[in-house]
Amino acid sequence: MKTIKILGTGCPKCKQMESIVKEVVAEHNVDAEVIKVEDIMEIMQYNVMSTPVLVIDEEVTIKGRVPSKTEVADLLK
Amino acid sequence: MKPAKEICPTTTKGKVAEGALLVDVRENDEVSELSFDVPNVMYIPLSEFEERYEEVPKDKEVVLVGKNGMNSLKATYFLMNHGWTNVVNMQHGLIRWVEKGFPTKGNVAAVQGKDTGSCCGAGSETSSCC
Repeated sequence: MKTIKILGTGCPKCKQMESIVKEVVAEHNVDAEVIKVEDIMEIMQYNVMSTPVLVIDEEVTIKGRVPSKTEVADLLK
Repeated sequence: MKPAKEICPTTTKGKVAEGALLVDVRENDEVSELSFDVPNVMYIPLSEFEERYEEVPKDKEVVLVGKNGMNSLKATYFLMNHGWTNVVNMQHGLIRWVEKGFPTKGNVAAVQGKDTGSCCGAGSETSSCC
């Protein structure tokens, strides 16, 4: 099972990323746990300045922008 | 990771009087609208921070400041992660600084009533600072 983290402090873009990721996970039946991380100290353990950030299995994949569903689906293959 | 040290605008103002440097992480358009009127301030927008963080001195007290204290907190952690030990964050940012009536240059209307709805904003908490 994959662990997907969405790092963001509650901004609109972070919420958009969260819903896109959840839609992709549901549509593609991805075996994954989706975790929203809002605590700045926890976010900064990944040393990223711009949110939202998509972390898949502890690897930072996308930062500072909202990805398309296709992009997320490709990352989760 | 150790939690970042955070201070309120009143404490920040005292530190500035003692020679501390403010590092403002707001974007250039925000700074041109309204800025901190203090003797020692440098500007490194968050969007350029990863490329320019090494400009932040290590040999003097540094207070990171922003609009509401959230982005400057990120910048504080970023510097701590890169070995800076002399950095603290100013909570509540320029918005609270203005509310306190502390010195600024520009149009204070630029931040008044704008503590909600912004990207990564601190929300609408209204607790009073020291």
